[in-house]
This record gives sequence, structure tokens and C-alpha cells, in this order.
Amino acid sequence: MTILQKIDAMKTKVLVFSTVFLVIVLSAMSALKAKIGTSEYVPLDTTKTAVVEDSSYRTMMQVLTHERCLNCHPNDNVPKQGDDSNPHNFGMSRGTNDKGFAATKCATCHQKENNLYSGVPGAPHWALAPKSMAWEGLSAAEIATVMLDKTTNGNRSHEDLIHHLTEDELVLWAFDPGVDNEGKPRTKPPVSEESYKAAVKKWFANGALIPKE
Amino acid sequence: MTKEKKKLSRRKFLVRGGLGTIGVLAVGTYLFRNTIRRGIAGMVNTADTPYMGNTSTPIIWFEITAQNKVIVHSPKVEMGQGTFTSLAQMAADELEVGIDQIQVVHANSISGNIDGFATGGSTSVSALWVPLRELAATMREMLKNEAAEKIGISVSEVSVANGVVLGGGKTMTYADIARNVKEWDVPDTPMLKDVKDYKFVGKAIPRVDLKDKVFGAPIFGMDASMPDLLFGAVVRPEYIGAKYIGADISKAEDMPGVVKIIKENDFVGVVATSLIEAENAKEVIEAEWQVERNWQTADIEDMIKVGKGEPFLIQKEGDAEEILDDSEGLITSEYKSPIGAHAQIEPNGALAHVEENKVTIMMSTQVVKITRDEIAERLDMDADKVNIVPTFLGGGFGRRLHTPNAVQAAVLSKAVGKPVKCFFTRKEEFQNDTFRPPTHHVLKAKLTSEGAIKAIEHNVSSGDVAFGSPMLPGIAEPILGADLGAWRGGMIQYGAIPNFRTISWRQKLPFATSWWRSLGLLANTFAIESFMDELAITAKVDPVTFRLSQIQDDDRGFRLKEVIKAAAEKSGYTDKVIKGRAMGFAVSTDANTPCAQVAEVSVVNNKIKVHKVTCAMDPGLVINPDQVRAQCEGAIIMGMSAAMFEKMDIKDGQLTPTIYGPYQMALMKHAPKEIDVVLLQNSDTPGAVGEPPLGPIGAAIANAVFRLKGERLRSMPLELS
Amino acid sequence: MKISFEINGASRTVEIEDQHTPLLWVVRDRLNLKGTKFGCGKAACGACTLHVDGEAVRSCSYPVKFAEGKQIITIEGLGDEKNPHPVQQAWIEEIVPQCGYCQPGFMMATAALLNKVPNPTDADIDQNIFNVCRCATYYRMRKAIHRAVEIQETNKPKTEA
Repeated sequence: MTILQKIDAMKTKVLVFSTVFLVIVLSAMSALKAKIGTSEYVPLDTTKTAVVEDSSYRTMMQVLTHERCLNCHPNDNVPKQGDDSNPHNFGMSRGTNDKGFAATKCATCHQKENNLYSGVPGAPHWALAPKSMAWEGLSAAEIATVMLDKTTNGNRSHEDLIHHLTEDELVLWAFDPGVDNEGKPRTKPPVSEESYKAAVKKWFANGALIPKE
Repeated sequence: MTKEKKKLSRRKFLVRGGLGTIGVLAVGTYLFRNTIRRGIAGMVNTADTPYMGNTSTPIIWFEITAQNKVIVHSPKVEMGQGTFTSLAQMAADELEVGIDQIQVVHANSISGNIDGFATGGSTSVSALWVPLRELAATMREMLKNEAAEKIGISVSEVSVANGVVLGGGKTMTYADIARNVKEWDVPDTPMLKDVKDYKFVGKAIPRVDLKDKVFGAPIFGMDASMPDLLFGAVVRPEYIGAKYIGADISKAEDMPGVVKIIKENDFVGVVATSLIEAENAKEVIEAEWQVERNWQTADIEDMIKVGKGEPFLIQKEGDAEEILDDSEGLITSEYKSPIGAHAQIEPNGALAHVEENKVTIMMSTQVVKITRDEIAERLDMDADKVNIVPTFLGGGFGRRLHTPNAVQAAVLSKAVGKPVKCFFTRKEEFQNDTFRPPTHHVLKAKLTSEGAIKAIEHNVSSGDVAFGSPMLPGIAEPILGADLGAWRGGMIQYGAIPNFRTISWRQKLPFATSWWRSLGLLANTFAIESFMDELAITAKVDPVTFRLSQIQDDDRGFRLKEVIKAAAEKSGYTDKVIKGRAMGFAVSTDANTPCAQVAEVSVVNNKIKVHKVTCAMDPGLVINPDQVRAQCEGAIIMGMSAAMFEKMDIKDGQLTPTIYGPYQMALMKHAPKEIDVVLLQNSDTPGAVGEPPLGPIGAAIANAVFRLKGERLRSMPLELS
Repeated sequence: MKISFEINGASRTVEIEDQHTPLLWVVRDRLNLKGTKFGCGKAACGACTLHVDGEAVRSCSYPVKFAEGKQIITIEGLGDEKNPHPVQQAWIEEIVPQCGYCQPGFMMATAALLNKVPNPTDADIDQNIFNVCRCATYYRMRKAIHRAVEIQETNKPKTEA
């Protein structure tokens, strides 16, 4: 082999090695980029294992699993009352439209605001949550699932849900539950209204992921 | 104001009977305590209570209006028990007026027509049966005499009908006759008519207060009103045994509508321009209470146990103690009942108007005289300057057998110089009630080889009912020993049993316990009649035959047997369970009125459902069968309510619950769909009606439940495990 | 502040400082209509039941401010002796009341029921009528409710076929 011939062979080797090297480097780089997570990455499955950030979920669920919320989301037809969730006095029950019986309705006693003289709680459109939204006895994850499911949540989109959870006066009644028939203030959820609303918005903003329990 | 020449007449009672007799006996008999006590107990158990009030002249009882109506002034109050209607019927028949011409009103105390006793104990009609008719007959004769004089004929030529007198070709209405009469001649009491000649007595006349109650007339204590009315509120204790020390009223003084805050040694109250303003101001008064101890339900249950407290032998026949002393063949059972609240829907309260020289009180009360006297004492005025104007009661049930809240209302009125209306809140009613005391019972018996009861003993431990009530003279307690309200219904009524005794164990509780409709009858009958059922089953005899065979052959025994037979027959009583329903039998005698009931019961979802109750009662002469039926229906359901649902607890020193709902009571959906009442009249005078039908229902239900489920419920409220 | 409403067919205006005052007290103490009763003040007993715009409302738990512009009927407006409501007529026929204190509340609740369910079953009655009656006149009440249905039927003007 002549020297020229040797130099040509070397050029080829360098070219080949460079190319291979470049390919390897580029692959490595793109692989590295994938691990860091660019805005192009989209999670594939919401039921997959633990999501990194779930503190907003926990904050939100502390409220949604509170007795006061569950009292009006019973798994039967009977509204519950009080911290001990005893069945509503006098056999009061769902009726045909979640608003009580034909003549003696929720609205016979419950008005659109708390009554501080009688201790009867009140908020606009006071009524039972429909049967499809029966949360009593469900775990937090089950509640969240049912809540996100359009077939059970009154055909609500995420936008609708955020509105319902953070702006509906009956829902927010939890934070202003008034006094009982002896004038004693009712217990409130363990987080503030602001923290709750922020948590809800954040949770939805992050894709409304339900961590495995 | 008409004067009347009083003449001695049979109406004047030489001995005031009843409790007065106790006073007479007291002195000489202290040495013979036990026998006398039992004698008195027996007497109280069967006694008719005479009327203790002013029967000297009909003028304070009957008022004739210009429209020729007769207003009957009743010293007994109307609390739903139908007394006004019975009095109207009795008066109309002797007065010779139509029933529509009569209006019954409450007599106010200043008229002098005052009941020295009270309205209670199912005694109103029986006490007034003779006196009222005599007064009415006398009034009639007075009118006839006066008419005869005015017409100028002899009274024998005069006839009378429907409030009109005819004679000598002339007609005079009672109104005509009574007009301008200044002095009445009160003749001797005329003969009364024969009961069979009565047009109204014995008939189902519609209640005389029916329309007022259906159209919402303002007839209750809470409806009372006066010009310039102010509203009061008194701070009442929440804790048992709390003693009022004082109060910081600084926050309340500037509250809207406040007229004055009144601090007394024994209470603090506020007067304001509206009820809500008074209540709001009251909320910010910081009252100081001294509370010795934080009671709990368990503490009370620990006190109310047979064997604790003071025992009193109140009934004894034969040798029960000895026979039951050994355990051979001994059958024994225990039963319990809880604290019961009155829970009458109209809270206690009064409208008081205290002026310089007179006091007017409009209120619902069962004790007009005692209330008047308490106010007079507090205000340091003569009793005849205090006028109690009773109103229709929104429920009595014994709650209003002491109404000292009127004294507080009077104090508030005096402080502001205006009429003041002051009422309890519902929470205050629940926490300051004079409760039906809890009880504990131990029954023991031995059967003969033929399956009859050889000996039986009933031990009942209870809080006080009568003692502590201002109705009883202080001397009653040491004389009687056992509280006569607590053992009401507790005596063994089966007189053919050769050996029996009843022992009452008395325990004073730290909170007020007193008269609750039928007193000890409900709890005592529950215990005894459940036990009788247990014995009948052990003896393998049906419960009806078992009872009948142990009743003595006398007047009382006869009447008792008749109601038992009537109830059994009407209900078709059977021990069998048919289509998931069973029957339970029970019978009680209360103040001479025997009452037997059969409850038809099923159990659905472990809950007791009462479908039908058959009730046979013998109250003696029935004045108004419809109203007697109504009393039976109501008492049965009220008894069911107490037997199946009601219970007060004590939590960290406070009585609870304090509201309807948590204090469970019978509602429409619990009421039996059928109530059959059979009335017997095996006595020719009217007896007790309002309370006796409360007796048997608890045991009747428990006995039915046993046949259905094989579970013997020994505690009220009745609950299946 | 001023609150105007119609009560038993008459227009009324009430001037009141505390607009949260329960309608019950305005009706009883300002308007002097004593038929509607106070039993508990906690919407538990039903003695305060009246009608607001045709619906049964427990007035002890209804602030007067909500009455603005509404039509209110109390027992006095339900009917009177000359012109009794079928419920009242039935109550008289069956001689229902004993002490009578809770009865207006029951009659108002029943009238509301018959407006919605002209021929209620016992189950309808049980569900809708849970006022508290201490005298426990429920047995006759039930009969009266069924009788009121009959009276209401009879009173209906006959229409041409």
C-alpha cells in the first residue's frame, strides 16, 4: 500500500469513527434530554404508578372526605347530620329529585344561608348530591375517580369541575357551616378555604392525577 | 258585683278529704307508722279526690250574657284532656240550656273561683261531678225563683227549657231574668236529675274548644298580649345542680332593644322590645354558676337500684317475704325505665303586668292558687291583689304543676313598670324540666304446682314524683314515707294471690323529678305486666286466663276482670304468631280505672312496629265517649313514645338532648293504623280517664315482641339487640 | 329596613332593624297573627309551619328578609268558620285537636301536601308529615287527612265532559 493509499484509508476510518461518535453523542444527548422532561413530554396513563407531586391532591381530598361533605353525598337516600354523621332527623330523605319529599322539602327548613337563630344550615340550592355522586364509603381515590368521570359527575369537564369545587356556594358552605341548634359553631375542614381552592386549581392544572393509595 | 245570701248547704265540705285527712291523721298516728302508711297508701290508690274549692255560690261559676248564653267559669284548666267539654255537658243538662248556649272559660283567681288543689291526677271530672251539677241545678232554681217573682206566680207554675222560662203566659230568657239582679237568693241544693234523663252527659258532643283550635284563635299562654308589651328572657342553668352566683351584664346593656337588665339574688333577666332582642341580649350576659359536680347518666343509674335508698313497705298481704326468701322455685326478673321529659310543645312562660296595687298574670298553668301565692309572696302583696288569668295550655302532662317562672316574669314587669312576656326556650325546657324519674324494678315470685302465683313481690326504686312538689303539704313526706307518685301503679292488683308485697325504694336525685302523665304507672306496669307474662309462660297458661284466675271477687276485681275479657275478646287475643305478627297483653288499674290493652306488633328490619292496639277501659260513668276514646288513643301513642323512643341522658353535667329529633318521640309514621277502644261503665260515677290508658302499652308491646322474637325486653326504651 | 309582602291576601310592610328576625316573630308579634306557633325555634317540631309562595316553610328558621315580595298564608288565611279549608273541615269532623297547640302547623303541612299530592297514600303522609304532637293525636289526624281528600274532591267544580 502506498502512503497516499494509507492516508485515504485513515480518512475513511476517521470519518466512520466521527460519524459513529457523533451518532452516539447525539443519541446520548437526546436520551439525556428525555430524562430531564421537556414541555414536549406528555404522560401516557393517569392510572400509572405514583405521580411525583400529590400534595395538592391531598389538600383537596382532606376537604372532600370531610364528614360535612360526605353528609350530603350519602350512598343511600338519607342525608347525614353532624360530625358523627347520624341519619337526618325525622326520616328526612332524598325524595324523587334530591330535594326532599313532595311537600316537606329540604327548603321547608333549609334556606339559602345559615340560620343563626335556629341552627339550621343553609346555602343556595340546598339539596342532596345526586345518587351518581354518592361518596359515602368511598376511598379518596375512588371519590376522585368518580368525580372526574363524566358519566357520573353530571357531564362536567375539568373546567366545570374547577368551577363547581371552588365557586359553588353549596360546596363552599363547608368553610362557613354556621352554628348548630345549641348555637355551637360547626367544625370546619382542616384546611383553609384559600388553601383548598389553590389546591384544587393546582391539581387540575397538573393534570388531575390520582395517586395510587 | 252581686251579693248573695249564703246558706248552709250540703256543698260545704266538712272535711277537705284527701291530703287534708293526712294532716288530721298525722298527729295521733306517728307511732303506728307502717300500718297507717299502708292504709293511707291504699286510700290514695283508690280514693276519689273531692273538689277543694269554692262551691258556696253558683254566681262565680255561671255568667249569663245579654245574648242569653251561659259562660261557665272553670277553675280546672283545659290542656287537651277535654275537661271543658265535660263540664259544659254537665252544666247544660242541669241548667236546662242547649249545649250551644254554653261557653266554658278559665276562671281567673280574682273571681274567687279558685281550685285549692290543681288540675291533674285525672281528677277534674270526678271531683266536679257532683258539685258542678249541684251548682248548675241551684242556678237553675235561682233563675226560676227570680222569674216566678218577676212574673208574679209561684215557682211551681214555672217551666224551663233551653235557657227560657215559661210561666203565667209569659216568656223570660235567662238573660231577661238575670238583668239587674243585685241580690240572689241561694236556695237549698235541689235534687239532681237521673243520669238516664241527661241529654248531653253520655253523648259524643264535639269538643267545645274545637273551632278555636282549628282556626288558630289566640287562646294559649304564648298568645297572650297587652298594649305596651315588652319581652323578657331569664338566664337559666345548663348544668345539673347549678347555683346562681351572679352575672356580668356589661355586654348585654347596650344590645339593641334592651330596656333593662334585672339582677336579682336568685336570677338575672333582661327586658327588651322584642323577643329576639331579649334572647340576643340574654346570650351575652355572663352568668356565674356554682356547680358541685359534673353528673353522668351512669351516676344516676347507679343510684336508682333496688337496694339503694330508703325502702318503704307500701303493700302487704300474707307472707310473701318468708315464702320468697329461699331460692327454690324462685323466679326473679329486673326491669328499668329511663329519665323522661315532658316535651309539651308550648314552652312554659307568662305575661305579667305588675301595677301599683294589682298584678295580672296571663299564663298556662295547672296550679292557679300556688302560683298566685308564690307571686304574692315574692312581691310582698296580698294574694287577692294578684289575678291569675289562666289560658288554654299547649300541653300540661304535669309539667305545669309548678310554674314559678311566673314569679320571674312578675319581677321583670315590676322592674320596668310595663307588661312583660317571658318564656322558656326549648333548650331551657329540656334542661330545666321536672322529669319523669328513672326506675329500677326487681320482681320475685313462686308458682304453685297448679301454675298459680303463690307469692309475688315487687320492688321499685325511683326518684321522687310527689315529694318536693309545692302541691303536697310538708307533713306528707314524713307521714307517707314512700313517694305516692312513684309507686302509682306499682301495687299488685291481683287480689286473689295469697301472698304479695310491694316495696318502694326512695332515692332523691340531683335534678328535679316530678309528675309526668300517669306518674309511676307506665314504668310500674311495664315491670309488673312483663313479669306476669313471664310467669304465665312458665306456668304454661295463656296470659289472659293466668290474670283472670288471680283476681279477687269484689267490685274492683269484677271491673278488672271485665276489661281483661273485653280486651281479649275484641282483639281476638292469641298467643300465636300469625303472618309475622304477635299480640301482647297487659292490664293496669289506675285510681280505680282498670285498663287492658292488646298490642299487635311485628318486627321489621329489627325495628318494632305496632300495627294495632285494642284498649278496654272502665272509667265508670262516661261523660263524653268520643273524648274518652280520644284520651285513650293519645295516651296509648304517648305511652308508646315513652316505651319505645324517649330517653334523657346526662353528659358531663348537662341533661341532653335539648331538642326534638335527638329526643326521639313517636311521630305520625309510628302511630298504629288501628286503635280499637271499648268502653265499659261498671261504676255509676265518672272516674279517671286522662292517665290510666298510659299504663299497659309498654308491657303489651314487650310481651308481643317476646312471642315474636323470643327476646325479653326489660328496659325502656324498647330496643331489639 | 322595610320588608313588604302579601300575607293572607293583604299587602303588609314591616319596618324592622334585624332583618334576620325569624318570620315567625314578625307574624306573631308585629302582625298579631297568633295562630302560627313557637314550639322549639329550631325547625324541629313544625308548630311554626306556614306557606310561602305555596310551599310549606318552617317560619322559625326563615329570616323575614326572605319574605320580601312573597305570598304568605298562615292558618288564619287557610280558611275560617264561614269558609273552612277542606283540611280544617276534616279536622273538625274527626274532632282531632286535644290541647290544640301543634294543630295549625299540622294543618298547614297537610294543606301543602294536598296541594302537591291530592290523594296521598299513608306512606306519603308518613314521609311528609313529621311535625311533633305530644298529645299524640296522629291516629285521628290520619283519618282527617284522608277525609280532607274526600272533601277536596267533592268541592272540585264539576267540569263538562
